Amino acid sequence: MPTPSTLGPRVLLPALPGALRKLDPRTLWRNPVLFIVELGAAWTTVLTVRDPGVFAAAITAWLWLTVLFGTLAEAVAEGRGRAQAASLRRARRDTVARRLRDGTGAPEEVPATELRRGDLVVVEAGGTVPGDGEVIEGIATVDESAITGESAPVVRESGGDRSAVTGGTRVLSDRIVVRITQRPGESFVDTMIRLVEGAARQRTPNEIALNLLLLALTAVFLVAVVTVQPLAAYAVGGDHGLGDDPALGEHGINGVVLVSLLVCLIPTTIGALLSAIGIAGMDRLVRHNVLAMSGRAVEAAGDVDTLLLDKTGTITLGDRHASAFLPADGVPAAELADAAQLASLADETPEGRSVVVHAETAHGLPARAAGDLDGAHWVPFAASTRMSGVDLPDGDGTRSLRKGAAAAVTGWVRERGGAVPAALDAAVDGIAASGGTPLVVAEACGGTARVLGAVHLKDVVKPGMRERFAQMRAMGIRTVMVTGDNPRTAAAIAAEAGVDDHVAEARPEDKIALIRREQAGGRLVAMTGDGTNDAPALAQADVGVAMNTGTAAAKEAGNMVDLDSDPTKLIEIVRIGKQLLITRGALTTFSIANDVAKYFAIVPALFVGLYPGLAALDVMRLHSPQTAILSAVIFNALVIVALLPLALRGVRYTPGDASALLRRNLLVYGVGGVVAPFAGIKAIDLLLQFAPGLS
Amino acid sequence: MSDTQAAVLFAGSLVVALAVLHVPLGDHLHRVFTSPRHTRAERLVYRAVGVDADAGQRWGAYARGVLAFSLVSVLFLYLFQRVQSRLPLALGHDDVPAPVAWNTAVSFVTNTNWQAYAGESTMGHLVQMAGLAVQNFVSAAVGLAVAIAFVRGFAGRGTGDLGNFWVDLTRAVLRVLLPLSAVAAVVLIAGGVVQNLDGAHTVTTLTGGTQTLPGGPVASQEAIKQLGTNGGGFYNANSAHPYENPSAWTSWVQILLMTAVPFALPRTFGRMAGDRRQGHAVVAVMAALALLSVTALNAAQLAHHGTVPEAVTAAAEGTEARFGVAGSATFAAATTLTSTGAVNSAHDSYTGLGGMVAMLDMMVGEVAPGGVGTGLVGLLVLAVVTVFVAGLMVGRTPEYLGKKIGPREIRLAALYFLVTPALALGGTALAMGLDGPRASMLNTGPHGLSEVLYAFTSAANNNGSAFGGLTTDTPFYTTALGLVMVLGRFVPIVLALALAGSLARQRPLPATAGTLPTHRPQFAALLAGVALVLVALTFLPALALGPLAEGMH
Amino acid sequence: MNVFLRRHLAAVRALLVLTLVCGLAYPLAVTAVAQLPGLDERAAGSPLRAAGRTAGSTLIGQAFTGPDGAPLRQYFQGRPSAAGDGYDASASGASNLGPEDVVDAAPGAPSLLSTVCARSRAVGALEGVSGARPYCAPSGAGAVLAVFGPRERGRVTRVDRVVSVNEYCPTRPFTATYRGVRVECRKAGEDVAAGRIVPVRGDAPARPAVPADAVTASGSGLDPHVSPAYARLQAARVAAARHLPRARVDALVAAHTTRPALGLLGAPVVNVVTLNAALDRI
Repeated sequence: MPTPSTLGPRVLLPALPGALRKLDPRTLWRNPVLFIVELGAAWTTVLTVRDPGVFAAAITAWLWLTVLFGTLAEAVAEGRGRAQAASLRRARRDTVARRLRDGTGAPEEVPATELRRGDLVVVEAGGTVPGDGEVIEGIATVDESAITGESAPVVRESGGDRSAVTGGTRVLSDRIVVRITQRPGESFVDTMIRLVEGAARQRTPNEIALNLLLLALTAVFLVAVVTVQPLAAYAVGGDHGLGDDPALGEHGINGVVLVSLLVCLIPTTIGALLSAIGIAGMDRLVRHNVLAMSGRAVEAAGDVDTLLLDKTGTITLGDRHASAFLPADGVPAAELADAAQLASLADETPEGRSVVVHAETAHGLPARAAGDLDGAHWVPFAASTRMSGVDLPDGDGTRSLRKGAAAAVTGWVRERGGAVPAALDAAVDGIAASGGTPLVVAEACGGTARVLGAVHLKDVVKPGMRERFAQMRAMGIRTVMVTGDNPRTAAAIAAEAGVDDHVAEARPEDKIALIRREQAGGRLVAMTGDGTNDAPALAQADVGVAMNTGTAAAKEAGNMVDLDSDPTKLIEIVRIGKQLLITRGALTTFSIANDVAKYFAIVPALFVGLYPGLAALDVMRLHSPQTAILSAVIFNALVIVALLPLALRGVRYTPGDASALLRRNLLVYGVGGVVAPFAGIKAIDLLLQFAPGLS
Repeated sequence: MSDTQAAVLFAGSLVVALAVLHVPLGDHLHRVFTSPRHTRAERLVYRAVGVDADAGQRWGAYARGVLAFSLVSVLFLYLFQRVQSRLPLALGHDDVPAPVAWNTAVSFVTNTNWQAYAGESTMGHLVQMAGLAVQNFVSAAVGLAVAIAFVRGFAGRGTGDLGNFWVDLTRAVLRVLLPLSAVAAVVLIAGGVVQNLDGAHTVTTLTGGTQTLPGGPVASQEAIKQLGTNGGGFYNANSAHPYENPSAWTSWVQILLMTAVPFALPRTFGRMAGDRRQGHAVVAVMAALALLSVTALNAAQLAHHGTVPEAVTAAAEGTEARFGVAGSATFAAATTLTSTGAVNSAHDSYTGLGGMVAMLDMMVGEVAPGGVGTGLVGLLVLAVVTVFVAGLMVGRTPEYLGKKIGPREIRLAALYFLVTPALALGGTALAMGLDGPRASMLNTGPHGLSEVLYAFTSAANNNGSAFGGLTTDTPFYTTALGLVMVLGRFVPIVLALALAGSLARQRPLPATAGTLPTHRPQFAALLAGVALVLVALTFLPALALGPLAEGMH
Repeated sequence: MNVFLRRHLAAVRALLVLTLVCGLAYPLAVTAVAQLPGLDERAAGSPLRAAGRTAGSTLIGQAFTGPDGAPLRQYFQGRPSAAGDGYDASASGASNLGPEDVVDAAPGAPSLLSTVCARSRAVGALEGVSGARPYCAPSGAGAVLAVFGPRERGRVTRVDRVVSVNEYCPTRPFTATYRGVRVECRKAGEDVAAGRIVPVRGDAPARPAVPADAVTASGSGLDPHVSPAYARLQAARVAAARHLPRARVDALVAAHTTRPALGLLGAPVVNVVTLNAALDRI
């Protein structure tokens, strides 16, 4: 998907018709700041028609441009979302569903849009899944690239935690029966389309509050500007020698100038960009392949205090890996490594493969495959025996090697008359104590059996997790690891990963209890989950991110769905939520800070005819009162366009503590907001002095 | 000693005194309003009033109590003035005319103490003592009660309980204002302030002329006039009158009295909120803004820019010799910063820029440190708005002292800040737009506009000081200023209590590293900056046509 | 309704109780304490005793003028007063005129500037020093011009006509020309609002001989004090009028000078009321 970083005509032109439509006062009144600008522009239009002049016409034109830039900002943001939504919509428009008739079970062809919740549909290889649902029969590989952008196919099967399918995805092989779980028009894709297009965007609490603040500021400035008129009339009335003044007439300040003053003071910048910021935030989330069910959820993500993270798959790679071989007394390390590798060649589990790899990488053994050895009898790993191994021809007899769970292998040794040294028990206990999983390797040769040593399997924490958790801590977010492991194992992994807290031997109900406990303390909790048994916790959490691979129940309970099913995505989601709020705050600050310079341009220009001493306020030394006022109006309009890319991109966010963040943003948007317009207005004024028709 | 040195010593010694005083006074206020025990005297009062002193009130009930008490107060004070000629100690004065009586009743109940009358020629001693001075006590006590209730909103743990208005009112009077006033009154008498029940008596002067010297229970009223940030003078010249303010040191004491409670309340706030550092931040903002104003006003007056001051070679018109220009400027800053409104010099004759600083002090919303109670409330509401914008900038739903600032809170806070500028500017515009009210101005040109702007700014912010030139005992001004005072007092109070109620219903959230710290210099500086920028942006156009036009030429 | 009534009844009772406490008990108690020796004189208004009678208050300024309003040479003069007709203690108050009150409304209705200039001239004449001040014309009016002509950004670009606004015809204006144009005197009833008002500083010294407090009214109009500088200026005249040695008068001035409290609060001032009373006692 193209991400236009600059605003060329390619982006702006398509948005123009939408922007023009938004000028309709019947819809624009919802944005009070822009609505007031539009009223002002209409009023100056009337004034200009009645009393034409270059200055009045120029002001009027730029006031209209100010409104247009405002609606354009929103239209551009919506346009970007719409482009994204279009491809999705295309995928599902022509889908024909094969619905199983009630009772008979015979398929009938119906348009996908007519499917109801609970309908059963059949999808075969090459077909498109007509709607969100749950596989109730069969197994199939599915291409979800239309939604996730991930080209590798995934397996979807009935039962378990990989049963959910999404409308618009394509079945590549086999045949599945899907029970539709969505209402018509309410699939995830539909929701996403509505959200990115801004159509269904409901204002979030923070946005409502900010709107109220902007409304109040607008009202204050409206009062300030309206009430100055009788004061100006009084001042003009006291000076009979005023003559022809560009800004003042017998009734006070002339209408065009008064409107200019008002428009420059009310927070037009943030007023124009506010909805674009919201839409863009949603859009950014979608670009990260996360669907949010509401804007409120995105905002809540920025507020999260506690992250609940499943250990397996989120913090650790999900499988245990061999990390060390501990030989028994008198056994050379190389012999143990060799035996362990041989005994694991027939073990296709990740643990087994990791033993083979560890022998290669840590002990320099050559890579071997089961087929390399003639006459070997392979004993694959089985859950019932909890062992794998190999029987090799060794002279007359056979040499049997076994590797497996400590209890199973020591039992196997004892059966064959071997003894288990006490030192091994100690090693096994030591591994368990450190949070690892012990395996034992043994050999039976010529009627005697002996233990060769132990293998230390441990959970491997994903690279970079420690740093991420440190970042979270700096942001004030507490991370809690949840695992079904025993307390010792859990504590070890928690320490290694650097989480703030952990819960061991957790059952699903423990998760809910933990969430409730955190929430009772006033904290906002986020979690990810995929299984049906996660659903209650997902529903309880303030931010519940369901994995797209998860069950329909989980997806329904959460308020976001991650299409990539990446549990660490939660961290990105928090970042996007924060960035959304920061962008709003920063641009509000910028908008208000701008007023300082505009005052220094307009106030002296207004009254210098009456009180020449006020020329001292004209610190920018602008060309004339007319160019001063026009420069301020033009700057006010252009700054909307100039800041649109920032509004769409979001301001830079580096995790850190609140004070440092505030310091930086105040410096950039507060101080910058005061300084920038001085330069901008002066520059525009330098150009305007050459404009014909202006005094 | 140069003028500048004199100014620095005068203001500097006040800073030191306040720095020492605010600790025990703030702690005392904390004890008074958090103690569960009632004194015997208080229990007597509660029985007489007929209220259950241990019943908590939610914000609505608290606000209705405030409004009921104030309504009754206005009616009582109005009637009292209207029948004064039939009461003892009237000194032969007539009943106060209805428009002036209404304006004065409203003015004293709203803690404004704007005076549309001249004290010595209008009010008898009984009305002064049992009418006006009583309101000096109780209007300040209402302000204090509202501030304490407001702070309880931050400290509340989800119940919505803001305390009991009748208890807060009674304790504010009996445990805080009355004892401090009694001490201050005796100190002022020692300084020469009169305290008797005599009427005016005429004497033959040294040159054989006659002079009519007024009497009155002045010291007792002067003490609470300053301590309660009221400001209504016993005499027309207010604290410039030698009988109200005989010397430079009584002037110093009066400034200390008017600033004492407002500067102590942040400490009370910090202790009630369970984090003294929050109080430090608030008091730092107040002090910084106040010092800025004192410095600017002194600088403007000592530089004596302007045709007449330059002709005189000092901004001496309207100042008393015993106070000097600096002692007058510092008093002017203090009285406008605290919503007191007492004056020890004529602000009307100040330099253009000096007069503008006095107006800006009021325009900033009387928050540095503001009136008794109302100053703290104003600054905390401003902090709520600041926290909102700053909180967004750190990427979290903004929260202040563990309370989330959502749409409801912002709506109330924003309205709070809309009220006074709208009243001040709206009133000014109305007066300037009408021929009659325009004719009330003593001065012409921008200075005349300044008189009207000052009057409405003073009334809207419940300050009560005046650019004395404006004739305000006309039907228009008594009515308009009266309405502005009522709305400028009670609309913000109701909004503040509603905000407190909303906060009190929230359970406090724990602070994390992601929470914006509101006790650091960073936030304090931001808060002060927001106050200044908002005020400058709102009032600059009007100021440009008044004091700014006058002061810059 | 019931609750409404109950609340307002409680408010009435609360107001009555607090009125008794704060409005009667408190001021009466303070008045009682004020009767203690040491406080009683002050509480009574610090009466000024002269020749066995009360001749005013040591805190309240008095006029030291004759029946015609002219200053009595044997008395130190206080500051100008805006209280009533001057030092009217039943009508305290200030002039309330602003710093740019520089255009006289009519002959006999001077602006603050003209008032200051006239006072300065009068004091100078009384004390035998120059009464010149910045922005003051030798005539004793404020030196202010109204400049007529088209303007650009508020400044008159071409001067058409100039009027000295505080000098009514036939007074000769303080300056003959302004920017090359002849300055006219102001005709009675002439409206100068169309002109740009330009005060002219003139060449008066930066430190005029007549001190600032001698030409300005106080806030109360009852200020009993003058600056030591103004007292010094008057000492010679008073000594001469009373046939006293100058040193004697100077010593009395020093005795009636109030130093800043604790050495840091306020300005040093001379109480002319007690000073004049002391002079009378000699």
